[in-house]
Amino acid sequence: MTRVHQVTGAAGRHDAVTGQMLAYADLLGGWGRAGGMHAVRIGPAAPAGIAPLAELAAGPDDLVLIHYSGWIAGMGALLELPQRKALVYHNITPAKYFWSVHPAVAVICEVGRDKLPVLVEAASATAGVSSYNAGELRAAGAPDPQVVPILADPARLAHDGAAAEDDGPLVLVVGRVAPHKRPDLVIRAFAQYQRLHAPGARLLFAGAVQNPPYQARLEQLVDEVGAKRVRLAGALEDDELGRAYAQASVMLSLSEHEGFCIPLLEAFYADLPVIARACGGMPEVGGDAVLWVEDGDDIAVAAELLHLAVTDGDLRTELVRRGRLRAQEFAPDRVAEAVRGLIDAASA
Amino acid sequence: MTTPEDAADRARAAAEPAPPPGDVARSFERDLAGESPPDELLQEWAVISVDPELVYSSRRGGAPLTFMKRALLRLMRQYTAEFEAQQTRFNLAVLGRLRELERRRGE
Repeated sequence: MTRVHQVTGAAGRHDAVTGQMLAYADLLGGWGRAGGMHAVRIGPAAPAGIAPLAELAAGPDDLVLIHYSGWIAGMGALLELPQRKALVYHNITPAKYFWSVHPAVAVICEVGRDKLPVLVEAASATAGVSSYNAGELRAAGAPDPQVVPILADPARLAHDGAAAEDDGPLVLVVGRVAPHKRPDLVIRAFAQYQRLHAPGARLLFAGAVQNPPYQARLEQLVDEVGAKRVRLAGALEDDELGRAYAQASVMLSLSEHEGFCIPLLEAFYADLPVIARACGGMPEVGGDAVLWVEDGDDIAVAAELLHLAVTDGDLRTELVRRGRLRAQEFAPDRVAEAVRGLIDAASA
Repeated sequence: MTTPEDAADRARAAAEPAPPPGDVARSFERDLAGESPPDELLQEWAVISVDPELVYSSRRGGAPLTFMKRALLRLMRQYTAEFEAQQTRFNLAVLGRLRELERRRGE
């Protein structure tokens, strides 16, 4: 039977795309089709079982499934492989967000978007993790991109069930603390909310900060706007993150660019109300279960939404109910069928 | 009861003007202001000078690794300084040529 080998540019411990590669590997193993997992660049604490791309040993009838989220030097070797290829596009953040903050990442993004049509042409089937991403694939020349949503397993965030601290509302922000996520706006909105409604409120960023200078700037901003009880916790282990979801009062995202946004699903699984900016692939994931902030809204609107989402019990109940329904739309067995469809299409 | 559909309108009605952004807040906006960097920023970027503080370990408890990486940088300083200087020479030459072209186009 055809084996499916997975490849990504860079593998890391808390990297969402690496997480998808591991989730696919479980699926493929269950179907008896698991090949290797490979990356061009493997981070020092990357999960075990991921080998360098140079060690890829695929048979002539095997399939190479590329998880694409940016171009890493050395990925060109993929294009030379004679095997059939499937492309899963996780989206690439526009480089403009990184030129001033992290030029090396900006280059990965800029070249990554330039190379997308080349990868599309090399693939016999393509998929975006959202319709939004599929639209970008179509613009890059893919004739009929599929949609294969993110495979999110709620069991990943299992924790010991520690009780929530009764110490003021906790506003949770999940994901890499990077310029396109607009942590600066989150801090300003939180400061307004804290000043007007909840002096004891806390803000927790759960995610790796882009780099130390960016963290220093955010800490300066916290001082400038007079916010208190703000914590940049860095990337959390799965159980710690699960506990943070359980203890939080509301999740906030003011990101300007998201291909899918896994934390939305995770918040739904954790029965946590969500406030988010409607951008990229987020509306199709969150649907009617999220309090959406529009682009034209001031941070003061986000602050008032925080107040409502924390204090209005009926509103919270309704958001949780809707969130559970949205999560069912992305249940792992449904996504598994979409993965199988992509592999079948690429292998045909 | 506030429905999710009503919540945004209610929040907009209740929103008090936020304080004006301070200097630090404005600097975040400036970074994202446009696709094409302004001339003075281009000039700043052309001069390569990499802060050793940007070299660090992202591992938990990675302080010893960070120390080692920065020590290695210090040992290699002669080489990296030359590298930076040569790249800066090229960047400034290209920037100068670009300005000359823009000046001629404006004539």
